[in-house]
Amino acid sequence: MIGRSALFKRPTSLAGPPDKPTDRGLAFMIRPMPWLLALLALLFGSLLSAPATAQEPATTASGDPAAIVQKFGGKQSYDETEAVISELAGTGDPAVARPLRALRDGDLYWREGDQAVFIATRDGDEYDLLDPMTGETAGTAPRGEMEKVRVKNSIRNAVTLALGSLTLRSDNPAQRLRAAQTLFSEADPEMIAPLTEAIAAEEDPAVKTAMAEARASAILASDAPEAEKAEEARILAARGDREALAMLSRFADSAQTPEARSAALSAIAQVENNIAFWNQAQNVWYGLSLGSVLLLAAIGLAITFGVMGVINMAHGEMVMLGAYTTFVVQEFIRTNVPGLFEWSLAIALPLAFLVSGLVGLVMERGLIRFLYGRPLETLLATFGVSLILQQAVRTIFGPTNREVGNPDWMSGAFEVGLMQVTWNRLWIIVFAIIVFVALLAVLNKTSLGLQMRAVTQNRRMASAMGIRTPWVDAMTFALGSGIAGIAGVALSQIDNVSPNLGQGYIIDSFMVVVFGGVGNLWGTLVGAMTLGVVNKFLEPFAGAVLGKIVVLVLIILFIQKRPRGLFAQKGRFVDA
Amino acid sequence: MNTTRDPLPAGDGRDEAAEQARILQEPQGAETAPADGLAPSHAAAPKPAPEPASEPITVPRVSPHPYATERAVEQAKKEARLGARRETLLYLDGVNKTFDGFKAINNLSLVVQRGEMRAIIGPNGAGKTTMMDIITGKTRPDSGDVFFAGDVDLTKHDEASIASMGIGRKFQKPTVFEGLTVEKNLRLSLAGSRSVFEALLHKRSGEENDRVEEILHTTRMVDKRHRLAADLSHGQKQWLEIGMLLAQDPELLLVDEPVAGMTDAETEETARLLREIAEKHSVVVVEHDMHFVRALGVKVTCLHEGTVLSEGTLDHVSSDPRVIEVYLGR
Amino acid sequence: MIIRYLGARVWILVAALVAAAILVPLANLALPANHPLHVPSYLVPLIGKYVCYAMLALALDLVWGHLGILSLGHGAFFALGGYAMGMYLMRQIGARGVYGNPELPDFMVFLNWQELPWYWYGFDQFWFAALMVMVVPGLLGFVFGYFAFRSRVTGVYLSIITQAMTYALLLAFFRNDMGFGGNNGLTDFKDILGYPIQADTTRAALFAASCIALALAVLCVGAIIRSKLGDLMIAVRDAESRTRFIGWRPEYVKLFAFTLSAVMAGIAGALYVPQVGIINPGEFAPVNSIEIVVWAAVGGRGTLLGPVIGALLVNYGKSVFTGLAPEYWLFVLGGLFVVVTIFLPRGIVGTIDHGWDALKARRRAKNREKGESEGTGNDPNLAASPAE
Repeated sequence: MIGRSALFKRPTSLAGPPDKPTDRGLAFMIRPMPWLLALLALLFGSLLSAPATAQEPATTASGDPAAIVQKFGGKQSYDETEAVISELAGTGDPAVARPLRALRDGDLYWREGDQAVFIATRDGDEYDLLDPMTGETAGTAPRGEMEKVRVKNSIRNAVTLALGSLTLRSDNPAQRLRAAQTLFSEADPEMIAPLTEAIAAEEDPAVKTAMAEARASAILASDAPEAEKAEEARILAARGDREALAMLSRFADSAQTPEARSAALSAIAQVENNIAFWNQAQNVWYGLSLGSVLLLAAIGLAITFGVMGVINMAHGEMVMLGAYTTFVVQEFIRTNVPGLFEWSLAIALPLAFLVSGLVGLVMERGLIRFLYGRPLETLLATFGVSLILQQAVRTIFGPTNREVGNPDWMSGAFEVGLMQVTWNRLWIIVFAIIVFVALLAVLNKTSLGLQMRAVTQNRRMASAMGIRTPWVDAMTFALGSGIAGIAGVALSQIDNVSPNLGQGYIIDSFMVVVFGGVGNLWGTLVGAMTLGVVNKFLEPFAGAVLGKIVVLVLIILFIQKRPRGLFAQKGRFVDA
Repeated sequence: MNTTRDPLPAGDGRDEAAEQARILQEPQGAETAPADGLAPSHAAAPKPAPEPASEPITVPRVSPHPYATERAVEQAKKEARLGARRETLLYLDGVNKTFDGFKAINNLSLVVQRGEMRAIIGPNGAGKTTMMDIITGKTRPDSGDVFFAGDVDLTKHDEASIASMGIGRKFQKPTVFEGLTVEKNLRLSLAGSRSVFEALLHKRSGEENDRVEEILHTTRMVDKRHRLAADLSHGQKQWLEIGMLLAQDPELLLVDEPVAGMTDAETEETARLLREIAEKHSVVVVEHDMHFVRALGVKVTCLHEGTVLSEGTLDHVSSDPRVIEVYLGR
Repeated sequence: MIIRYLGARVWILVAALVAAAILVPLANLALPANHPLHVPSYLVPLIGKYVCYAMLALALDLVWGHLGILSLGHGAFFALGGYAMGMYLMRQIGARGVYGNPELPDFMVFLNWQELPWYWYGFDQFWFAALMVMVVPGLLGFVFGYFAFRSRVTGVYLSIITQAMTYALLLAFFRNDMGFGGNNGLTDFKDILGYPIQADTTRAALFAASCIALALAVLCVGAIIRSKLGDLMIAVRDAESRTRFIGWRPEYVKLFAFTLSAVMAGIAGALYVPQVGIINPGEFAPVNSIEIVVWAAVGGRGTLLGPVIGALLVNYGKSVFTGLAPEYWLFVLGGLFVVVTIFLPRGIVGTIDHGWDALKARRRAKNREKGESEGTGNDPNLAASPAE
């Protein structure tokens, strides 16, 4: 970042003499805004508790940042260091951000011999030296020769503020935005003037808004007239987050005039509304996220239970197998081709489908086909299979959680309004929708789907028309199981991969399918999303566990009202 | 879809599958239906007297208490409403039932008198079974009146209470309790208390034994009384089910295809049995077998697409051009 | 008369249980430790535990074997009965707890509760606890059954919501603020009815009580399935809608049996807790409830004897196996589910019965050939295979 801004032209036209002499002697300006400088000077002046001690830097304000940086060299008092900081900030040169940051992080050193200042990183008994301004390597030095520029918290704060004001004038909008955001939290009255200037010069509307908010916060913190503060409260109200709320509350508490108080209160109300809105949005988002997880877990079941009528209690274990497949794939990649790690999920998907699908196929051929028409026996037998699969995985991989990593594109988060959106949740929602659509397409557009529907609607007729019903059964079951495996890949990203992974989902999955209406994929979609959102909306009131209990009880009651689910099939052949 | 999910034992699934197969074979929906002239349901069914609801009903002041008078008025209104259907045993008027857009019953009106035996014929999907479902409370009609014995609104009762009122039903596919012996099947069906606790403390009475004995004789099952119902042949199950109906001693018997899958001899035997039963009960028989219907020798109603197509003697009905058209196609 | 009514099998089982109730405590208490017939003290509560499980299996089989209701939530009734007894035992600790609070159980002191929650009132009285052991599970069974059966939820749907029921209770009982000890449940019991709970004599008495309770349960179930109600239950199992069309209300039949079964399971749980010394939310785990099903299935459902034998066999096997190779027990249990459903759908007792009946039928046919009149015949009802 520094490198980039360093590419831009350095401010060369340095202003003339300070129009307001100060003891700090900051006499530079970038653009013709002398009073800004004055205020900057005031700011740094106010930061210093000690009276002026170092006059020298003031007089030698040559304007060359590289030269000023060298003043950090040699034994210095904290006050002297701070003076140098303000001097550096006064250059208005974005390039000084590098040494300042190094200073803050405690990486700035000076050499005992010539008092030259470097950014140094320790490498064994030596330091690797970098030029403080350009960041180019500048050789090494033995440990004994280097002395650290001492910092304390007030110095770090000074650096931060200096960086903030500096970057307000950066050529990089992102940097300016960040500066404005920092200043917003600082709410320092000294920054009002530079912010006003920066706002005037700003062209990017987003940055401009952020600056205006920073300025508003600064004004609220200042002793400006209350009328002006009331005016600024509106800007904060428009921002509408918790920080703004805190500032406005402080303003409301301290406001003297009724007008100001009412302005503050109305702004608070507005902010609270906004926060409430985003809270709801966040809840919906969490709900959709949970819903998509439920959808992924249940959608395979919607095939095996909903379409075939087979109660597969081992469905959760199919999901678990998918998750373990992901684990194995990642292990393989880590040890053999670490470069492919970003692709590990993409590689695991088809494999998980195959693994779970194959296990499903074996189950159907070896077990379930003997039990068609005996749903309760099917339930028991598949439960037995689920125990065996769990124990098998426990024996092979151990009973503890296995580490499945998130590729970079699955990690991190971003904000929408006041709402946190994590990438893995977002991708899982997208993924769930893709799986859903793909499954719809398979059911409605492929010949397997056609045969599946034919068999489930009228087995004997389908058989009479030449459809190999046993084959269709096996394929359907394998498809449902394979999809559970795919779900396992996705769930491995947000849940613990342990032999018990599947158990946690099986009851929820059945609830989703039963609630949504058996034999109806759309019902499963709506059921999953509804349950997810309802669950998340109940959580704030009831707590996570109680919320879940309430949902279970609601479903039990719901099933009794509508035994065939939300999207029940109606017809004279549906026997209650 | 539902067949594989059916929580009941597999047999029912097969039954439904068969029904679905029937539906698939049947001519498609209402768009191919005959034009208006061919929907004479009201012409065929005796129309009840117009409801005198609009006329003011005057009742003498029964008692000084206003509530008593009010009740008397109510009673009088009810009497007046009953009107023509008072003497009927089963009274259906303007009944409609739609399943997912498929009109199974379309403005059906049908009257069965006390003591009457009625045969109902009709092609597949004519709504015969749905009609039975509506009468026995398994299915609720979308609209229309269904009354039993003049003033009992059957749409307001469920299967068990309708059965207790005296409507017995034999299913198309014989459903008996396969895990029980023939005798126990009959004993469970015997008229009497239906309370769970009385069943728990029940003691067999001599009267009961006589009745079971009598039915075993009537249905010629004496030597099979200790056999499990599951081990009976198809025809024997049909007879057992008829025997269970008799044990219930209902006022009205609904019999759905009693001779399906029977040999000719068995069919004749069944016809004899049903005629015997009809001496004491009212019977509605749904049947495809025309020989059997002829052997019954009773009034025939022909249903088509959920509505009455023709009604009268078998000869009258079978010579009706619309019936011929429906059965033989255009 | 009654003896014939219930059949010899029931009486043999009852006699065996009564004998066990007398002999096992005797062999434990009266015989010296080196006597070959001496029953070691650790075995008494262990077998007592099996007997409780047998009663639980019998309770489940009343609804599963005879009514076709596969409940995957019977563990919940068992655990509720156990909790009711546990609450009594907790109150009996009195001031002997770690914190020495005479009123509050330790975990409540630990959670800084100031007073006993209202639903703990009365549990210091044995008669009240004994009543609650039956009332709480019975009430849950009744309310749950009322809603479920009235709206005609059947088959796997019912199974799934019973499972959801026990799952919901599992989650609820894990919560500390439910006031049932949360994760740890109720434990550290001191005495029951004034007798120290760890003492051999107390354990022998509890064992005897379990056997007698099981014997009574067997008599009760036997009487029900031999009554007209028992026939009706079979009828409901085989053709529920048909029973409606002859005027019965299958929902009431189910409600009666389900509630009774819940009460029986609750009693089994109440006898179980003092013998194992702890009750915790793990008892609500859906897996536990499904295990009960496999006990009944192994023994043979709908055979009265089967669930009892199945529960004893499977749990004995479990004890042996977890001693030898604990990690493989789940393989065995899972395998049992598969093998029994595929190869032994009638269970052990059912298969034997079936073979026996076939033999008898053949003999009867032979007799008839000889021109002899048919005997009254045994009621084949007990041996009736479940509808498939």
